[in-house]
Amino acid sequence: MLELVDLSKKYKQFYAVKNLNMFIEKGEIVGLLGPNGAGKSTAISMLSSLVEPTEGDVRFNNKSVIKKPAPLRKVIGMVPQEVALYDDLTAEENLHFFGRIYRLTGAQLKQRVNEVLEIIGLTDRRKDIVKKFSGGMKRRLNIGAALLHEPEVIIMDEPTVGIDPQSRNYILETVKRLNKEKGMTVLYTSHYMEEVEFLCDRIYIMDKGDLIASGTKDEIKRILSAEKTISIQADRLNDSFISKLKQHPTINRVIAEEKEITIMVAKEINMFSTLIKIAEDAGIELNSVDIKTPTLEDVFLHLTGRALRD
Amino acid sequence: MKGILFAKLKTFIRTPWLFILMTLMSLGFAWIVGGADDENQMQVPVYAANETIQDGLIGKALTISDTIDFNWMSEKEMTDQIADDKAEMGVKLEENDFQLLTGVESLNADLIKRIVQQAYENREQQEQIVAATSLVTEKEKADVQKELQAAMEAPVFSMDTGSFRGTDTWVYDDTFQRLFGFALFFMIYTVSYSVLPILTEKEDGIWDRLILSPVRKWEMYVSNLIYSFLTGYLQVLLVFLIFRFWIGVDFNGRFAETLLLLIPYVFAVVALAVFLTAIVKNQPQFSAILPLMAVSMAMIGGAFWPIEIVDSKILIALSKINPLTYGMEVLNGVAVYGYSLEELLYPISILLLMGVVLMGVGMHLMEKRHI
Repeated sequence: MLELVDLSKKYKQFYAVKNLNMFIEKGEIVGLLGPNGAGKSTAISMLSSLVEPTEGDVRFNNKSVIKKPAPLRKVIGMVPQEVALYDDLTAEENLHFFGRIYRLTGAQLKQRVNEVLEIIGLTDRRKDIVKKFSGGMKRRLNIGAALLHEPEVIIMDEPTVGIDPQSRNYILETVKRLNKEKGMTVLYTSHYMEEVEFLCDRIYIMDKGDLIASGTKDEIKRILSAEKTISIQADRLNDSFISKLKQHPTINRVIAEEKEITIMVAKEINMFSTLIKIAEDAGIELNSVDIKTPTLEDVFLHLTGRALRD
Repeated sequence: MKGILFAKLKTFIRTPWLFILMTLMSLGFAWIVGGADDENQMQVPVYAANETIQDGLIGKALTISDTIDFNWMSEKEMTDQIADDKAEMGVKLEENDFQLLTGVESLNADLIKRIVQQAYENREQQEQIVAATSLVTEKEKADVQKELQAAMEAPVFSMDTGSFRGTDTWVYDDTFQRLFGFALFFMIYTVSYSVLPILTEKEDGIWDRLILSPVRKWEMYVSNLIYSFLTGYLQVLLVFLIFRFWIGVDFNGRFAETLLLLIPYVFAVVALAVFLTAIVKNQPQFSAILPLMAVSMAMIGGAFWPIEIVDSKILIALSKINPLTYGMEVLNGVAVYGYSLEELLYPISILLLMGVVLMGVGMHLMEKRHI
């Protein structure tokens, strides 16, 4: 349905996106995962025909979107990263505005506004001015504004940034429902692993403009089939402990945070007693040592040596 | 396009505060500073060397002046007022001559000199007429003078006189100077802040949504610019209406023409705001540059004081690329000088040209830039 072919975007000497290849099939929820600055927003701006690529092509039903953006634009709904709404208008007025720009009028417009308010759970707050809304409600309305013309494809650029867990869950459930009930194709970008894991059938992982992994959740997790992740927690981690872990021959990777260290080792190795000894030598007292099931976060860690939120 | 205009209108109704503030500022400055009421009529202390001058024809002529309020006082009081900066200047009247005592250089010196000089000339003229009658007694002379006064107040026929104005002559009308100056100055803020949402809506992603919709790019720009134009025009219209119908400034009978010929200036300011919005990177930068630009424009464009008193060649050269200069020229041309449309074609053309160029360059830059 939608295909990105060797897509690149270059700003002066810097590649925001480099040779990106992706496809999205009808009715899928596809996740585009990566830390801030990975090039996700640039990629979806090119995909939605808002930004012209430096190289490559975007194809919709096998036709170039760059040459003729209109067919894609008719069926696309865009949820930008920023809350793209009029703060001084009510929720209903905002939806009326975005409905009108899609040439909806009269009873049809009224009906769609009511339906969308129902979907995003803001029927009771329809007459309230947007600037009085909480972050979560604004985000829900931001999604609603992209649903008025009943798009076939919806592109969501980090739609849950900076909101409370309850609103976040509501949004994730809404996206799932739209996909299941309306058959809507969704491209969902995020830097939250758990969201992508929960929602998406297939996942693309980007870092620094490059695509570093792609596949179904299981396929991606299999990248870590030979390794396991161990999380070590202590009150006062010191440089000596971290340095000893890094120098240890059986430890493949060490990621140190304030009170937690994550290490990756071969699956068959039992590290427990070794870790206790290294901690004693470094003079620190461990609070816990957990062996974790691999997550997409661990995959990203494995591929880039950095946590997703770094 | 209607949808965008409707949303703008609703936003305006919900948050009209900047518009109201700028309208009040225009009114306040033009009214209070501009002396539209009697209390602000210019006060000039005057001293007569003897009582016959004050009671005679000269004294009467000065008392009935509707331009200047001459206050009679002693010579010491007059010099004290000038020394204490309570008065710009004073007039000392003698039997056959007068002196103008100036404390500060003032634009009004010429005007006061003309009024006093006219009073002396009128007295001289009347005395010569009385002398030509060969009357002897004072009573007869006084009767003739009374008849003469009555005849002058009800002439047999009246005559309008006019003259070709040279480029070096100009008329200073305080009320219009302040009214036009402050109205055009404060409108720059209203218009600019109504154009600014183009930048913020682009940053917020509203424009991306519009681009993906069936709305065309030109509709997005035109609806935003129509809205900016209307808010700017409405502000000046309100100020002028209040001055016309409440305060009673009659725009020398050319109120409708003044409103009509305001259009090119508002268009040029909208274009200037588009250009400014295109060259700044963000809203804080816009808010920092706008006052600098607006105040500079007002200073060299003749909004705060007449451009005619500026001597610096550099400032005069800069004023030639300033829409406010031409805006003032057009409005003063209509209301103060009574120029016809043909005589105002030059400043109107410059304003339209500036509007087209700034709008073109501004939109090009906006489209070129990646946000």
